[in-house]
Amino acid sequence: MRKNVIVAKDLTLAYKPNVPIIKNSSFKIRSGEFVFITGPSGSGKSTLLKSFYGELKPQSGILQIGGVMMEDITSSKLAFLRKYLGIIFQDYKLIKEWTVKKNVMLPLLIAGYSKDVCEAQTKRLLKHVRLEGKEHYYPLELSGGEQQRVAMARALAHNPVIILADEPTGNLDEYSSRVIWGLLEGANEQLGTTVVVVTHSIPSNLKVPFKHFYIEEGRVYEIS
Amino acid sequence: MRSLKNHISLIIPLFAILFAVEFYIVIDRLIHEYEKKLTNDYSIIVVAKKPLSLQELKLADPRINVIKEIDSTLVINRLKQNSVIIDPKELKNFLPKFYRLFLDTFPSKEGLLRLKKKLLKVDGVTRVETFMKIHEKIYKFLLFVKNISKLFLAIIFITSVMLVFKQIEVWNLEHQERMYIMALFGAPLWMRNAILVKLSIIDTFVSIVLVYAVYFYMVTSGSFSKLLGIEELSIDPGSILHDLLWLFLIGVVISIINIVIVSSRQHRVT
Repeated sequence: MRKNVIVAKDLTLAYKPNVPIIKNSSFKIRSGEFVFITGPSGSGKSTLLKSFYGELKPQSGILQIGGVMMEDITSSKLAFLRKYLGIIFQDYKLIKEWTVKKNVMLPLLIAGYSKDVCEAQTKRLLKHVRLEGKEHYYPLELSGGEQQRVAMARALAHNPVIILADEPTGNLDEYSSRVIWGLLEGANEQLGTTVVVVTHSIPSNLKVPFKHFYIEEGRVYEIS
Repeated sequence: MRSLKNHISLIIPLFAILFAVEFYIVIDRLIHEYEKKLTNDYSIIVVAKKPLSLQELKLADPRINVIKEIDSTLVINRLKQNSVIIDPKELKNFLPKFYRLFLDTFPSKEGLLRLKKKLLKVDGVTRVETFMKIHEKIYKFLLFVKNISKLFLAIIFITSVMLVFKQIEVWNLEHQERMYIMALFGAPLWMRNAILVKLSIIDTFVSIVLVYAVYFYMVTSGSFSKLLGIEELSIDPGSILHDLLWLFLIGVVISIINIVIVSSRQHRVT
């Protein structure tokens, strides 16, 4: 029996009081699952994902991430929790002043790994995302697809328990999208990482089994 | 160019704070030195009908450090010089005892008046002469400068700390994206702010080098003493070098306090 890594019970999320984006929704995500969250624009997909990495606290209800209650989470607990998360954004969120190598190293540096381990892991990951030889480039010197692969390598660097991806292929061409989906599938299949992806459309050629949540009018529905 | 401007924007207020702090320290040190000089040169004359001992006078005021009896022959000789007809032998028996008292600290005007009153209460003491006016002028001036420098320090400190705060806020905005991304991966507050601390330390270091250069020039060229009109007092350039560590710590602490305040106001990250 696989453990629940994300549990929501009567969850309500809002930016302003009495204007809920997600209303009284309950769902569970188990360890090792590949989950898609879809829905129309403005339905609250990204808002829901934000609550998973603690940028938005629940207004009411329960949200547990890796057993941690998110309602009253402290800054230090949140920092600790985030060490087990790998986050990918549509706009990559790479540090422009840092090289590709340093960007990928970031979670490893935060986790306190030695320089040698950081170097070796970064080299392996850059090869994995097909960016070997570009470690000394700066993000703005790379194409969008390459930048997203750097973000992907960074998200995988510290072997996270959960990968949270917000429209990871939204800005990418077909080739780069295929590479990103392949990497996410690989992490899920080979490492057993739980993957939660917010997207407009689920890729048709996905090889792994997945769970699908659909958001409409603030309610989260599981589609079988 | 922008980066240089950002550095200068922090270096100037830090320089102002540290310059004012050092000015206060130097003035305070000058006052102590002048007090020491005054203590060595300064003595009180006491006239008594009977012999006095140091222990007896120390009971009246513990600041009395040395007592020296003035040879009465000197007094008689002075009277002779003034063409007064006297019999020295008879006068010697008739004359009271004269003493010079040296203190271990230089008292204030009020302190000296209190000391005079205490001495006059000592059995046998008939007269006390303090010669205060000779020394009072420079001492009063130095105390005045010290008070002015306190005020100057307070004004500069408040204004400059606000400027440092503003500059750190600018830096914080510049590095906000980076700090946000670091926070998303669980970087603790100190790690996110490491860049700001690093920049502050560099700028504090530059500021203290500038402060030292300015003071070294002012002290070695004598313009500092000339400015205050106290050429007879010397300032050791080595003592300023010794202060640099404290100035550096003050600069870094001010910057770090500002960084913590600025960061705690940033809610978006956590």
